[in-house]
Amino acid sequence: MIHFKQTEIGYKSPLINVADLTLEAGKVYALVGRNGSGKSTFLRSITGQNPLISGDININSVSFKKANAIEKSKTIAFVESKFDGIAFLSVADYLALGRAPYTNALGRLSQGDWDFVRQVANEIGIEAFMQKDTLSLSDGERQLCAIARAIVQETPVLLLDEPSAFLDYANKQILVDKLLQIANEKQKCIVFSTHDLDLCIENKLEFLALKNNTLTKVNGLNKLELIGLLEGNL
Amino acid sequence: MIQSQRINWFLVVSLLIFPLIAYFHLTVGQQAISISDFKNAIFAYDSTNTAQLLAREFRFPRLIMACVAGAGLSLAGMLMQTLFNNPLAGPYVLGINSGASLMVAISLLTGIQFFGTNFGLISTALIGAFAAGILMMSVVGFLKSQVSLLLVGLMFGSFTSAIVSFLEISSKAEQLKSFTLWSMGSLQNVLLEQIPLILLFFVFGIILSALIVKPLNLLVLGENAASLLGLKIQQTRIVILIITALFTGLITAFCGPIAFVGLAVPNITRILLKTQNHFHLIAGNLLIGSSFLLLCDILIQLIENEIQLPINVLTSLIGAPFVIFVLIRKMK
Repeated sequence: MIHFKQTEIGYKSPLINVADLTLEAGKVYALVGRNGSGKSTFLRSITGQNPLISGDININSVSFKKANAIEKSKTIAFVESKFDGIAFLSVADYLALGRAPYTNALGRLSQGDWDFVRQVANEIGIEAFMQKDTLSLSDGERQLCAIARAIVQETPVLLLDEPSAFLDYANKQILVDKLLQIANEKQKCIVFSTHDLDLCIENKLEFLALKNNTLTKVNGLNKLELIGLLEGNL
Repeated sequence: MIQSQRINWFLVVSLLIFPLIAYFHLTVGQQAISISDFKNAIFAYDSTNTAQLLAREFRFPRLIMACVAGAGLSLAGMLMQTLFNNPLAGPYVLGINSGASLMVAISLLTGIQFFGTNFGLISTALIGAFAAGILMMSVVGFLKSQVSLLLVGLMFGSFTSAIVSFLEISSKAEQLKSFTLWSMGSLQNVLLEQIPLILLFFVFGIILSALIVKPLNLLVLGENAASLLGLKIQQTRIVILIITALFTGLITAFCGPIAFVGLAVPNITRILLKTQNHFHLIAGNLLIGSSFLLLCDILIQLIENEIQLPINVLTSLIGAPFVIFVLIRKMK
């Protein structure tokens, strides 16, 4: 699915070196690392907002260096850590914007597009809010809307930047449940950055640990071992 | 889908009210003109008839100029608000007007004509508007808060007005007079034979705006999210710059600076229509913008005998408190 080969990520000097890493479809990866370790930079480099220093990222065997904006928007969907809502924008219209890569120059959605939007809203469980203003929702409801919008974009890859940061405990669990469900049902590759180690361990997620400029795939560690790894004591 | 019903109702009602306002605007002047004179002024024009002459040479051009100015400034304001994701943006507060005014001042006060006589003033104002627009767009990348963009615009306005004052001091009496008249702002400066050109520019700007409805709708999410949905941000910026500079330059050249219409009307339209669909917002801004300036101009003509109020003074009287209202709503 996503393949990194001799990829150097960073700004002027490399912050992260990824020698050889493959992320698979149908899985949810938790990207962990201390503040400033480069989690956001890593995600922004996959989306192309942050240019690679060297190397390449292949997604479904397509070089992302050469892909244009529309191809990228059909491959990767991105969810920011917080969606504050937008005045006078209803949830339905917000989700509909996720179809932008597929609509014509006027941006009009086909019946099929609208059916898909409604189907996604049902799957995520936000169908009751469709006519509501995005400003009128709670933080948890808005985060689900933001994820629904990303799913409406119908991409094989879904990236989320600290999606659980502003959620209460119950909503954090709902978030992970939804991500696992989406990855499994739609065979998406999902990567989300987080500081909620307990949440990820409880849900047996696979970790991508960022430490000292290297990214390691780790599995089945307990909390102490994981913290030790991130602190550099292991 | 309740939303779109509300919008349809709004558009139907304002389409019905608009001709009434326009008709009232035509008839409000000091000399009474009958409907048949208006009709004849278009279809069977007799230049020896004073009423028909008045209708054809003064009332119609003024009506069209008021509509174009109100609608054009509102549309320009809407585009800048969406691009900068900032309800306080507008051609006046961002200094696009100031750029146009500065160039006009340099031309009128120094007597240097940049272009041939007929299109001279328009081209001069357009260049000033474009230059100010490019300046603003290059500055915006460095600014984090919505209010600082406004401050930069106001500073730019102060800076240009300082240069204008300097030019005024060192210019000849005759040049000063023609500039002062222009800077007061008036909807009556336009000549009948200039109308086709103005309408051509105006329609061109509206068509361009309609073509970028999809990018505008995406920009509501912010530039980052929009570009991840496939938006070509640089292209969109250039098109928006072209439309806003075109409208602002054109209108400033003919009517002088008109403040706050471009800021207030797009906000009013969003509040009334409760939508972020720019196809509806464009229609709403055109209707509300032209109606708003027509109403202002009707008021000016009603009190004409007591006091000669320049259009810019009236729109500032209404607009400045409105900006404070928006600020309080945003910042609370």
